[in-house]
Amino acid sequence: MIARRDLAVRVAARTDLSPTCFRIALATPEPLAAAPGQFAMVACGEGFDPLLRRAFSIAGVARREGHTLVELMVKEVGRGSALLRRAPLGAELRLLAPLGNGFTLSPGEGGPLALVAGGIGLPPLLFAAERLAAQGVAFDLYLGAATAAELLEAERCRRAAAAAGGELVCATDDGSAGEAGLVTAALERRLETGRRYARVLVCGPNPMLRALARLARERKLDAELSLEEPMGCGVGVCLGCVVELADGRMVPSCKEGPVFPASRLAARWSE
Amino acid sequence: MSVRMATSVGAVPLANPVMAASGTFGYGLDLIDFCPPERLGAVVSKGLSPRPRPGNPMPRIVETAAGMINAIGLQNIGVEAFCRDALPQLRARGAVVVVNVFGARMEEYLEVVARCEREAGVAAYELNVSCPNVSAGGMEFGHDPALLETLTRRCRDATRRPLWVKLSPNAPDLVATARAAVAGGADALTLINTVRAMAIDAAARRPVLANGCGGLSGPAVKPIALRMVWEVHRALPEVPLVGIGGVETGRDAAEFLLAGASAVQVGTATFRDPAAPLRIVAELERFCETQGVADVRDLIGGLQWR
Ligand SMILES: Cc1cc2nc3c(=O)[nH]c(=O)nc-3n(C[C@H](O)[C@H](O)[C@H](O)COP(=O)(O)OP(=O)(O)OC[C@H]3O[C@@H](n4cnc5c(N)ncnc54)[C@H](O)[C@@H]3O)c2cc1C
Ligand SMILES: Cc1cc2nc3c(=O)[nH]c(=O)nc-3n(C[C@H](O)[C@H](O)[C@H](O)COP(=O)(O)O)c2cc1C
Ligand code: FES
Repeated sequence: MIARRDLAVRVAARTDLSPTCFRIALATPEPLAAAPGQFAMVACGEGFDPLLRRAFSIAGVARREGHTLVELMVKEVGRGSALLRRAPLGAELRLLAPLGNGFTLSPGEGGPLALVAGGIGLPPLLFAAERLAAQGVAFDLYLGAATAAELLEAERCRRAAAAAGGELVCATDDGSAGEAGLVTAALERRLETGRRYARVLVCGPNPMLRALARLARERKLDAELSLEEPMGCGVGVCLGCVVELADGRMVPSCKEGPVFPASRLAARWSE
Repeated sequence: MSVRMATSVGAVPLANPVMAASGTFGYGLDLIDFCPPERLGAVVSKGLSPRPRPGNPMPRIVETAAGMINAIGLQNIGVEAFCRDALPQLRARGAVVVVNVFGARMEEYLEVVARCEREAGVAAYELNVSCPNVSAGGMEFGHDPALLETLTRRCRDATRRPLWVKLSPNAPDLVATARAAVAGGADALTLINTVRAMAIDAAARRPVLANGCGGLSGPAVKPIALRMVWEVHRALPEVPLVGIGGVETGRDAAEFLLAGASAVQVGTATFRDPAAPLRIVAELERFCETQGVADVRDLIGGLQWR
């Protein structure tokens, strides 16, 4: 396990990715390592507003010129994410990371991996995709969004998938880019035509996770879902983020997750 | 100048006046990499019941202005698992351990105490009386002075260890409940537990929390907590108090000591900063230094007014 740390970081770069989402690079001289699927708790401002840190998946970590750059991708939805969007370059924030477990990235039996991202669920899967590409593990990447403008980092995704001979499949709800409809439907169509995957790694909005859990149960897929429960502490002490498992236990998703095998989750996830 | 930081809550000596509160520090070992429990005055366990409890449905927490509301529902691993898995490690590290106890019936409090009596390394019990008594139609133990006195006395009879009662700010008459706890044999009082509160999602026309209501904590409750510590200290100046509610900095801790607390507990601040309790020890020491206070105990009840 990689040791977690609470670091002072500086806003090193920020780029808009869509009308609502942006990428932000946070720099620290300290070394930091993370696995795809792990997340960070970020203190987005000073003082008591917002009071609690916000959870963001780690989209990448790189060591460059004596600094660690932690990359996040954020959708502006409220106070904390808005502060991150407006923080001036050079502003200091605190980042507690890496937290939680990660996706299983080893190659498996019976085909390549499938990575399925819905909207702002992309960051942990982009991190996974670029790791897998570097390791030469084959995967297809399914990228879904409401509209073409909200398809994030499509070019980077295409490059990563192509590196190991895989495919990028885009889907938009309104059909403005890629296949029309849900990204889960795009995956299902390929399964129908005989495409087989060793494992499916998923992050996205809850309805999408449920659809995937259902698909996993029906087709006996080995699926890992990254859940987004509201988090208070990110370190297992508030019990505000619990997830019900198939064995009835209520476990903190910040510690035992955020990634869970679909088969471990309580039945209502796949009903 | 070096500041003497040691204090005590009644018969419980503490290396410094800062403890990790119940429900915000797990079972004492979850944050050892940020906050080694043996370096705090004490650690208070998550509320323990005789058997494990699953807690409330989600969502259980919501952030509000300078605070948060929680309805965790007292999810815990149960006293047996605590004694087996956490207590031996805490003991080995030399941490001062306070066991926070609750129950849905009086007998359940007694069961938890009885189980812990078989273990070494428990410095005190802290009774969480902000829970509904199912045998009395759901009235909270801490809301009825007569019931509270009986509960405290029965726990008192079950142990020779120091017994603290953690008061609810929602009781109709705070000082009356404080007196009742002391009459029942409490050695010290902890105050305050969370303030009953609610958040509403106007667009959905629903409460945000699945439980409807919950308990407010964090900086938003500090002024209430200070007032309550001060009131109880004035009414019962001989009774050691542990102040809690929105302590975020060493200066906040100093305010509670001035109001009459012998020590403080740090709750919600730990969610913002996993090293908060330890940081607050250092900040309190610096505060004393800059104020020329040689012994932190000189702050206790030192409020200068009338
Ligand atoms: C493990 C994990 C990883 C995450 N990764 C990312 C990521 O990579 N990029 C990203 O943009 N977001 C991510 N999120 C969601 C992110 O934490 C929330 O969007 C953020 O907390 C909102 O904060 P805010 O102050 O901007 O909004 P707030 O003002 O707090 O809330 C605005 C709206 O967002 C909802 N919301 C608040 N907190 C959460 C939450 N934790 N999860 C879902 N909805 C929430 C609220 O109900 C409200 O409707 C992740 C969440 C988790 C638990
Ligand atoms: C998530 C959470 C869980 C809590 N669980 C308990 C508990 O099990 N027993 C208890 O006596 N108090 C519990 N409390 C109350 C705190 O110990 C404390 O009294 C209260 O939060 C006020 O202090 P603060 O503002 O520093 O958090 C809990 C508080 C929070 C926020
Ligand atoms: S966020 Fe606090 S326990 Fe998971």
